[in-house]
Amino acid sequence: MAVADPIARLVKELARLPGIGEKTAQRLAFHILKAGPAYAGELAGAIAGVVRDVRLCSGCQTLTDKDPCAVCADPRRDPRVICVVEGVPDLLAIERTHEFRGRYHVLHGALSPLDGIGPSELKIRELLVRLEREPADEIVVATNPDVEGEATALYLSKLLKPLGVKVSRIAQGIPMGGDLEYADQVTLARALAGRREL
Amino acid sequence: MKLLSLAVKDFRNLAEVVLAPSPRATVLLGENGQGKTNLLEAIYFLTTLKPLRAARLVELVRHGAERGEVAGDFDGPGGVRRVAVQVAAGGRVALLDGKPQERLDDYFEGLAAVCFAPDDLLLVKGGPEGRRRFLDRAAFNRWPAVLGEARDYVRALRARNAALRGGVAEVEASFRAPLARAGARLVRRRQALVDELAPRVGAAFREISGPGAPDARFAYRPSAGLSGEGSEAELTAALDAALGARLERDRDRGFTSAGPHMDELVLALDGRGARAYASQGQQRALVLALKIAEIENLRSALGRPPLLLLDDVSSELDPAKNRYLLAYLAALPAQAFLTTTDRRLLEPAAGPDTTFYRVERGVVTPLVS
Repeated sequence: MAVADPIARLVKELARLPGIGEKTAQRLAFHILKAGPAYAGELAGAIAGVVRDVRLCSGCQTLTDKDPCAVCADPRRDPRVICVVEGVPDLLAIERTHEFRGRYHVLHGALSPLDGIGPSELKIRELLVRLEREPADEIVVATNPDVEGEATALYLSKLLKPLGVKVSRIAQGIPMGGDLEYADQVTLARALAGRREL
Repeated sequence: MKLLSLAVKDFRNLAEVVLAPSPRATVLLGENGQGKTNLLEAIYFLTTLKPLRAARLVELVRHGAERGEVAGDFDGPGGVRRVAVQVAAGGRVALLDGKPQERLDDYFEGLAAVCFAPDDLLLVKGGPEGRRRFLDRAAFNRWPAVLGEARDYVRALRARNAALRGGVAEVEASFRAPLARAGARLVRRRQALVDELAPRVGAAFREISGPGAPDARFAYRPSAGLSGEGSEAELTAALDAALGARLERDRDRGFTSAGPHMDELVLALDGRGARAYASQGQQRALVLALKIAEIENLRSALGRPPLLLLDDVSSELDPAKNRYLLAYLAALPAQAFLTTTDRRLLEPAAGPDTTFYRVERGVVTPLVS
């Protein structure tokens, strides 16, 4: 590369980020250079800080800078109901509804034999340890409604039911407030298959 | 839906093609290896998002180009829609009126294409995977949701096979139920399609073969002795039980031995398997009957015939069958694309509104007839 070595080094590092190609990396590098030392310091600090300060909550395994995390530390949250999710974005999505008053457990993935992800790659052992310490009445499994998420839900239910805890699965079907005609066909077909008597 | 115009860019050996198809028959003339079939494949890809021949999508991109594109203006009940598909190393993007579509329901609205190529003549004689492919593509034409359902099944199957080899019994067991459910869905679809097609196959075969023809039967036989009848829930339970019963063997082989990927489509003449007993002429008549049954079934389901793509079929059929096919096409109010090396073979199907194009080394030029 016909640019100064520090620029080349930054471009190389940026280009390793997912979704960032060589050209975008170069544009970002020049932008950082142009923005000046104050911005560069803040960016560098933010990057170093995220790695230094963010860790897993010892209770629910979510990403947090305080252990236990805000949800686990909140005495108004019901510790007897635990909602199991695949990732932190799923937790945030449920949290935005303000409907769920229990606590969470983040698995950090779903079973995927094709990718070599088995039970020990997920935070399942942590869930069992946690249940031993503070037993729950109900586990709500909110993994994704795809093959891996379904399999993970089944795996958890077989693992947890013998412990005498109620295991439930979130429902699937037509999104609320939407028109039937706009629902995709797979969802519609599943909603029909899972119909209830009125 | 009628295809009003077609634009192809960097697809197979076609650098740039712009075509104004006839509302009825468009004939593509040319020697072998010039790009006639590639043009048919471009149209097939546009209407189904599946390649006709390529194993990998990236093979569709013209050598040396980064991205291929096929676009068409379709005239339908809601006016003219521009449907386009781009393909590159990263995969394909389907666009409707210039907007990328993630869910494909709207994209496929009103699109259906049936292709008849010389390879199809092996449908009876060849292995079961060819017949399963016929079934799945026909089911997808009938119900576009099958595209996603079949993909779900393949995904579940791969995951379960990997779990079988992974050796953790509880993990394998957890993937069995999603697999059985996705499988049952696909079995139901195929059975529903075969139920619709079977009487039409018999009727078409009688018409093609004339009086005294044997009785052509067309039946779906799911693997592991399962029946395609019954509710989806019953089928799920039955498939789940079959998978459980074969667990030990499947674990040894590292492969799931029951399910839609092992199913058979049975063709028989007077109760005897067509694969072993039918003459070559009868086998070709059966394939023709299958295709006509699919076209007629779509025609009655959609209210209009699908787009037809016929790749040099006339040269593979004997004169009597060719006459039958061309008379059938001439009477069908369908839009069709036909390729041939010899235009005389197609004369009987060419009405006054037939458009002719010459295809030579990837260049397509209109012919004044």
